Amino acid sequence: MQSEEEMHSSPEVIDAISSSVAVDDWASFRDDDIMQQQTAIKAEEADKMPFVGDKEPLSALAAEYQLGSPILQEKIKILEESYAAIRRTRGDGNCFFRSFMFAYLEHILESQDEAEVARIRACVERCKKTLQTLGYADFTFEDFFLIFLEQLDSVIQGHEDSISDEVLLIRSRDRSVSDYVVMFFRFVTSGEIRQRAKFFEPFILGLSNGTVDQFCKTSVEPMGEESDHVHIIALTDALGVPIRVVYLDRSSCDNGNDTMTFSTPSEAMFEKDDRKTVTKGLAV
Amino acid sequence: MTSSSAPSRKALSKIACNRLQKELVEWQVNPPAGFKHKVTDNLQRWVIEVNGAPGTLYANESYQLQVDFPEHYPMEAPQVIFLHPAPLHPHIYSNGHICLDILYDSWSPAMTVSSICISILSMLSSSTVKQRPADNDRYVKNCRNGRSPKETRWWFHDDKV
Repeated sequence: MQSEEEMHSSPEVIDAISSSVAVDDWASFRDDDIMQQQTAIKAEEADKMPFVGDKEPLSALAAEYQLGSPILQEKIKILEESYAAIRRTRGDGNCFFRSFMFAYLEHILESQDEAEVARIRACVERCKKTLQTLGYADFTFEDFFLIFLEQLDSVIQGHEDSISDEVLLIRSRDRSVSDYVVMFFRFVTSGEIRQRAKFFEPFILGLSNGTVDQFCKTSVEPMGEESDHVHIIALTDALGVPIRVVYLDRSSCDNGNDTMTFSTPSEAMFEKDDRKTVTKGLAV
Repeated sequence: MTSSSAPSRKALSKIACNRLQKELVEWQVNPPAGFKHKVTDNLQRWVIEVNGAPGTLYANESYQLQVDFPEHYPMEAPQVIFLHPAPLHPHIYSNGHICLDILYDSWSPAMTVSSICISILSMLSSSTVKQRPADNDRYVKNCRNGRSPKETRWWFHDDKV
């Protein structure tokens, strides 16, 4: 057991500084400095990229890759046949859940589909029962469920708490709402995976070589852990909300874009570049 | 010994406050075996007595955990340290800092004070040797300015203890 400093007891610290006071000062601020720098980088990223971006025409994406891979350019053209615009989400490990949140709530706000709202409410109620059956104490998840249900209520128009699409965007960028809804989805996803552990086990073994319980504890429930197929399947199954994921990478595109449809198609989309640092967005 | 290095103490948010009140009620009804919460009127800092499990190296020993909750608990992890004297354990530094992933990178709002306590007791119980981490002196020296363990970039490499 060691703190990471042990690993980085780099020779230049000892060589470069002869004054023991300086060594002391420098050594004692190492982790703090690194972490402050990490925080600064995150803040800078946040300035450049809100949790959920503005709607951009697909031509903006095309312009970005103008000098890039011809395969990507071709794929963006194919995207333009089905989609008019893109929104990017911040690549902080929560982008799938955040994209899902925004795309779903925006869909309800635009469609005012009350039957769908009733259906999703019943799903959310089932997810709650699943967590209770699995042994989660109510107080661990109820605040997160409540905040999601409040957002769902507020996108339905015609009552006191109704919100516009502008306010939806503001809330999606506000940590105190957005992160809570992301965590709500993480609970739903974890509950679904645990409840159907037999089904998910082989996929999880392939991904992480650990147990279903370990996977949920380390790769689903902590904030900032990226989503993979397992998360996507679990969430879309639990809520019965179909999504389509479009991969924008450099693999050959003879057959058009590499598209994965989960349940029946709707409107969330991923954009993935070749370095796997992903810019993700949802097409609308 | 800087055993009480408090994080910058911002008052608990409303949601954190509600959540902690619920956790406290649940604890009173159903406390984790081997732990005792020392009742105070401070919701933001809990001091918890830990009793080593029978049949382990820490049987009949008693230690104190100090849990400080941040403004945005449970979205952010609490700071958990042992008060002096900290148990001799390969993952516990003499200043009370604990190297345990769920307290840092792997924290999730799905966890509770109670589940943290159970993890710490399990960490103690599975130890086969009473000794400090190899880099104890260096690490503790670097924490002399009252640094919180949450400001350490931990490196978790041992999943056995």
